[in-house]
Amino acid sequence: MAGTLSVQANLANHEPFAGAVITVHSESAHAQPPVAAILDQINLTFVPDLIVIPVGSTVEFPNSDSVSHQIYSFSPAKRFQLPLYRGKPYPPVHFDQAGVVTLGCNIHDKMVGYIYVTDATYFGRTDAHGVWSVTNVPRGTYHVSLWHPLLREPAASLDHEVSVGGDDPASVAVQLAQALRPAPLQATSRSKDQY
Amino acid sequence: MKARTAPLAAAAVCAVTACPAWSTDWDVSADMRLVDSDGQSSLFDGGFGALRYDSDHEGLQVGRFRAALTQPLGDVFAIKLDGSYWGQDAAHPFGLTEGYLEYRPYPIDGWKARLRLGADYPPVSLEDTSAGWSSPYTLSNSALNAWIGEEIRTVGLNGDLEWLGTRLGHDFDFGVSGGVFGWNEPAGVVVATGGFSINDFQTPLGGYIGGRNSAAFPENPLFRQYDDRAGFYFSAQARYLDRATLLFTHYDNRADPQAGIEGTYEYGWNTRFNAAGARVEADGWTAIVQWLEGTTATAPEGDYYSWPFYAKFALLSREWGRNTISARYDVFSVESTADYNFGAEAGHAWTAAYIFNQSAHWRFALEWVHVTSNVVNRYILLDEPQYARENQAQLSVRYTIGSDRLY
Repeated sequence: MAGTLSVQANLANHEPFAGAVITVHSESAHAQPPVAAILDQINLTFVPDLIVIPVGSTVEFPNSDSVSHQIYSFSPAKRFQLPLYRGKPYPPVHFDQAGVVTLGCNIHDKMVGYIYVTDATYFGRTDAHGVWSVTNVPRGTYHVSLWHPLLREPAASLDHEVSVGGDDPASVAVQLAQALRPAPLQATSRSKDQY
Repeated sequence: MKARTAPLAAAAVCAVTACPAWSTDWDVSADMRLVDSDGQSSLFDGGFGALRYDSDHEGLQVGRFRAALTQPLGDVFAIKLDGSYWGQDAAHPFGLTEGYLEYRPYPIDGWKARLRLGADYPPVSLEDTSAGWSSPYTLSNSALNAWIGEEIRTVGLNGDLEWLGTRLGHDFDFGVSGGVFGWNEPAGVVVATGGFSINDFQTPLGGYIGGRNSAAFPENPLFRQYDDRAGFYFSAQARYLDRATLLFTHYDNRADPQAGIEGTYEYGWNTRFNAAGARVEADGWTAIVQWLEGTTATAPEGDYYSWPFYAKFALLSREWGRNTISARYDVFSVESTADYNFGAEAGHAWTAAYIFNQSAHWRFALEWVHVTSNVVNRYILLDEPQYARENQAQLSVRYTIGSDRLY
């Protein structure tokens, strides 16, 4: 018997937590199949600034700016460098290990982006109401995790176990104990670095 | 036929759309000013006024014509050149304010390094974060940073090492910088002779400050080497997220105060200073405080004279949309051990500015500066009152084109 699993994420001030990454693991279910994703660079920012992909996926990094970028990651989950480029000269990068990959540009220090590589059975991001849900979840016990780049508290402290398949839809409430870090300031004329 | 044309077609597509690019990034701008000033003859005209434009330089004036480029040489090397024409004086042709070869390896495990060989600014200014070492808050720099732009440049080897804690999930980044340099031995002559000024001028390499035909404050070349002693600086910086920055820098040009060119006024000025500052940004607000204190000394004919000096300012700025409004208070002082207190001064200034970044290309700005100063050399060298109150209003229109015009 399949059921529905929903997650309600709230910030420390009890406002909805939008954009949080939710992953759901199960010992009996498989990870999602790989995808081919695109993470662009527009106006000196990564667009989108955060993507969630299954292990084994590829990501293409076109540069739509008129200036050159030099993308790198020194995250243990994937270390790579894309030498100085404009446009789309490089083949997609393969992400074969679960973990958070933090992206930077070696020319424009304020650029930062994230790729969350996961072997979870289900995953997604919370909506404007702090809600994420998935249907047709087979009966069983699942491990629900939350992550966000601005999270101060250890992500593991927010983990939940939940059983799915009962009479009622399974729901998980994740309540942050600490406020998020402030969001990065927008790149403006004021903060724009010299190239 | 197809086999022969395919590489050409691929090259053409690459040239237009996408390449592992060694292509040049560039920026060209023209900044014209409409000026109203009751200022005395400025440092750039051989006087001791504390503003960039004096009452003889009102109306339509050149603010700055600037051209800059970054030319990659392979993946991790680049040549950076920044040149400007300031229109301040016909004898100040277009010249480089900065120019260096940069080595920028990829960060490793959270550590980022940079090496620069050439002419660069030491990390002192928390104001001048925009392209071309300019301020996004006001047209004119604080007295502190105006002096840096006038006299200080490190021509040599400069390096930074930074720990990117925020990329590792922490709240802080830390960095240290250092440099070994030459060709900055006259640094100190302007602050000791002409004092501090509120302006946005940056002396080009090979340039000078002073009046070409002025007996009181003649031209002072600033980027010369008279001895075999290298100067140095070191600096430490800490950042909390992208909201707060703390900076400390120590500079010593280690010039031999007895070295120089015989029969001229060109000799070494041993200049040392400590500079510290903090910048906080939040919710559209920016607050900056900076402090710089040091001394310069020279002994051209065995007589040793020194000029302890300081400059401080506090700036508050508010940005909303494409608008920025800023206010700044400066205070500055130069003491003197020379005869008649030669070069001593004390002053303070208020600056208010409104900037409208209309587009990626057009910027409009309005600024008013009021300086009150007591400059001994006005009396000694010009037989004028030491005390002066000067006002300057500027309307600036700047047009920029380049590969970095994004906002």
